[in-house]
Amino acid sequence: MLNFIVRRLLQIPVVLFVLSLIIMGLMQLLSPEQRAAAFVTSDKQIENLDLIIEKYHLREGFFVQYKLWAGEVIRGNLGFSRISKEPVLTTIQKRFPASMELALAAFVPIVLVGVWLGTQAATHRDGLLDQVLRVVAIVGWSLPTFVVAIWLVAWVYGGLGWFGIGRLPGSLLIELAGSDFRKYTGLFTVDGLLNGRLDIALEALKRLVLPAAALVIVVSAGIMRVMRSSMLDELGKDYVRTARAKGLAEKTVVYKHARRNALIPVITMAGPMLGRMIGGIVVIELIFNFPGLGEWAAGAALQLDVTTLLAFVMLIGLIMAVANLLVDVAYVVVDPRIRYE
Amino acid sequence: MSSPDRDAPGRERWYESKRFRRFRRNPLAWAGVVILLFFAGLAVLAPALTADRLPRGCLRDLGLVRSEARTALRTPANPAFWRATFAPPASCYKIPRVSYSPVPKPPRAKYPLGIASGGYDIYYGIVWGARTSFYIGVLVVGIVLVIATVVGGLAGLFGGWLDNLLMRLVDVVYSIPGLVLAMVFASIFGRGLIKTMIAIALVAWPIYARMLRGNILQVKAQDYISAAHAVGAGHLRLFFKHILPNAIGPMIILASLDIGAIVITASTLAFLGLGADVGYADWGQMISFARSWISNPGGEPLKYWFVWFWPSMAIALFVLGWNLLGDAVRDALDPRSR
Repeated sequence: MLNFIVRRLLQIPVVLFVLSLIIMGLMQLLSPEQRAAAFVTSDKQIENLDLIIEKYHLREGFFVQYKLWAGEVIRGNLGFSRISKEPVLTTIQKRFPASMELALAAFVPIVLVGVWLGTQAATHRDGLLDQVLRVVAIVGWSLPTFVVAIWLVAWVYGGLGWFGIGRLPGSLLIELAGSDFRKYTGLFTVDGLLNGRLDIALEALKRLVLPAAALVIVVSAGIMRVMRSSMLDELGKDYVRTARAKGLAEKTVVYKHARRNALIPVITMAGPMLGRMIGGIVVIELIFNFPGLGEWAAGAALQLDVTTLLAFVMLIGLIMAVANLLVDVAYVVVDPRIRYE
Repeated sequence: MSSPDRDAPGRERWYESKRFRRFRRNPLAWAGVVILLFFAGLAVLAPALTADRLPRGCLRDLGLVRSEARTALRTPANPAFWRATFAPPASCYKIPRVSYSPVPKPPRAKYPLGIASGGYDIYYGIVWGARTSFYIGVLVVGIVLVIATVVGGLAGLFGGWLDNLLMRLVDVVYSIPGLVLAMVFASIFGRGLIKTMIAIALVAWPIYARMLRGNILQVKAQDYISAAHAVGAGHLRLFFKHILPNAIGPMIILASLDIGAIVITASTLAFLGLGADVGYADWGQMISFARSWISNPGGEPLKYWFVWFWPSMAIALFVLGWNLLGDAVRDALDPRSR
């Protein structure tokens, strides 16, 4: 097991290396002037594009440029983000908690809704409920995240005036900046509780409802379908028949025996699900005015801020690789029959 | 009844097959077909449906005067009808602008779906947007199939270190969320419909390359391949005449059914501002026109509902149509999945 984990950890730098090669390679399609724009931090420097091109060796070949970039990255310098006007690492530290909070707020309901609906669909196989849920899943799967987000903003926030957008109301943010509110985690819900400011925790929670709901609608459909089919598999197995034969209540059979085993394939879904969530978070942050990493990256993509984009993809690659490793480890923990040696 | 010697006993035609019967009896499949036929109708008849409001550049390129356009584009006897339907000039995809006002105008008789911010006619955008969506879907699937066939084919045919290398590449591309990578590629390539499509295709191919490689390995192990090899078929002949035709089918079917997912990515990129040029009839971009009129504009919630409602419904229904169809086909091919 340890062997397996170490081997997988060693693969992560290789994946990141290949990713950076692909993106840096494609960037060679840009002219040196376009690439130089990524290093411009003030209006004054625009006049001196040639100096920047000179300084960063942007007219040189791919390998020279890659070596320069990789050297900086290894020294811990991911570059300067034109979009946020500060070093990339500083921005990541600032914005990561916001995206994290949104992801965590969406994750639990996504899993609960997916597993619960999947179980219901399987136990009512081919009944009315199953048919309805089948259509619901296909519809949920078909809705682009930004469409759901816009519907929620227009109907629920705009029309009904419920919940809110942004992370916190502007007045509270100003108040926090002046007070001795300590940021333990960067998550406003948790920090609010830790500082004894219940109002902040509640406001932050209120503003998480709509973006999280958008993610739940789009992502949980996939979990539900996997859960349904794996639940049907389990319900058809001999041990379920035995459990029923010895007179256990149907509830015990379904929820205690079958469902626990049916959850195993759902763990495999965690990787693709996280991928879908990250894609969704980029768009959702933009629509809900949520100052996280996704909003930053979307802005960078629009302005061709290559340093920021490269760093963002590296970060996502790292997150996905670690998540996939955790999934494989969780798999062994949950199902002792699986061995990786 | 056809003559018995032409149809060997036990041989059934495709519409009598069990698979097709399973497909036919699935009401969701029919719902998908109806939705897609509706959009196909919009797409094909787009010039006729919008004959009275075509932009000036489009009319010029078609060689028509506005007064005669309406009759010419609605009579199949006229050559302009066929030209506009099957080979419309690029200028026809530009949404005509009624005005330059940033405030949207509610629907009225001449503009039944309203006018978006910037004076864009929403009806025109929806109708021609259907064309754009089919165009994006089909072309991206085409590019994906080419890349996947080359990569999967090389990996499956040669095996060894090449296989290992290509499959690791597949793993790397596949490990990054498609939208994130497509966003970065689209940003590097710059604005433009073709560039966006290439960006999406560069992200979507890995799963199909892996599928084709698997199928090729399966086919390679069959007896008839060894037989063909034994009678002296060369490598190229073996690959193109025996292995590839038998391995490529499932990949083509599944990739074509993925048009829904491709249109989601394409419209999301367009919404972010990384899609076709500004003013191109594209549903995702139409929603981005609506950006500042969504949440409670001017204290009157839902007053400008039409700016986001129609394009978002068009995208959702279009993707739904493909996914209903795709789901039904997958069920028909693999009944155990139900």
